Amino acid sequence: MFSKEVRLEKFKDAETVIGGSVKMKGNFQGQGSIIIEGILEGSLKTEANLFVGDKAKVVANIEAKDAIINGEVRGNVKARNYLAIGGTAKIFGDVQYSEISIERGASINGQVLMLAEEHRRHEKKIEEKEIEIEK
Amino acid sequence: MEIRLTDLGLNGKIIRLGGIKNIRGTIQNEIKLGAKTIIAVGNNQTINKIIGAIIDTDIYGDFQKKTLLGIIPIGSDNSIAASFGIKNEEEACNILLARRIEKLDLGLVGSHYFLNQASIQSLGTTLEINDYTLEVSEKGEVKIINLLSDPKEKIKSNPHDGLLDILIRTRKKDQTFLTVKKIKISNPGNKLIVDGVVEINPPVEISIMKDKVNVIVGRDRLFE
Repeated sequence: MFSKEVRLEKFKDAETVIGGSVKMKGNFQGQGSIIIEGILEGSLKTEANLFVGDKAKVVANIEAKDAIINGEVRGNVKARNYLAIGGTAKIFGDVQYSEISIERGASINGQVLMLAEEHRRHEKKIEEKEIEIEK
Repeated sequence: MEIRLTDLGLNGKIIRLGGIKNIRGTIQNEIKLGAKTIIAVGNNQTINKIIGAIIDTDIYGDFQKKTLLGIIPIGSDNSIAASFGIKNEEEACNILLARRIEKLDLGLVGSHYFLNQASIQSLGTTLEINDYTLEVSEKGEVKIINLLSDPKEKIKSNPHDGLLDILIRTRKKDQTFLTVKKIKISNPGNKLIVDGVVEINPPVEISIMKDKVNVIVGRDRLFE
């Protein structure tokens, strides 16, 4: 499911690749697909897809359209479309997704929330606040 | 070679830069006098000297509108000619005759312009880009590329896009790649090499200027 071939096919035109010997620090915003094999500290948001390799260490909140996570992430992960969590992934934070697959061996220490459900909760909270105001 | 150029009808004024102290003045004067094409006969250093003599001067407007830059490569350090698809002197003459013209971006590092790339040892190098930095922890090379000079490099580099391509390769065989408009490079122990000929001490800022120079290129150039 999370083979190198799959990764290469999906990310062969990746706009940004952060290799294993590189540490990225700060806030990164991009339009294209991103591959992280090294260290990322800060935050990352892209309009396209994100691949986090099995040796990667991410201390950041990350957001992408599709996200494949195989490494360690300390922060929240938001995949607006599809989130694939590989067997080597260790996530310490909340994950949000529209569709999800989790491979055996993966660990998630945080809430696992479907984005639509999240939106519903958000809307419900607003409704409750409006009712309180009317009372 | 002069005979070959004359045979092809490419005869013109020949100026030997080696014996001239005021290179900038000499080149600018030729453009003022209406030179339509300037041919750099030499290597990357010759080309950089000519570009450096023109860009950001009063004469640049005329140069950009009316003048083409061609290359006849001689000796070593000819990566710019290789990028243009010019392998040797003989081929260069035919390429000049064909007059295939491309408008290219120019990289700017400090006060030096470059067509190809700037490079530096990767270990200890910090790259500052917009709101983030990249730190490299292994030996290898950082390349800031405008125009690709090595056909073996499997990256897409476009000298018309107004962007610099950053390529970091280390001895661990991992690769980092991204595109930027502007970057600041720091490395206390190493120098930045520009187009293989100019050495600059970091920290230094590198940027790109779009469509700055009209050049004559070969059919086998390493870009679209």
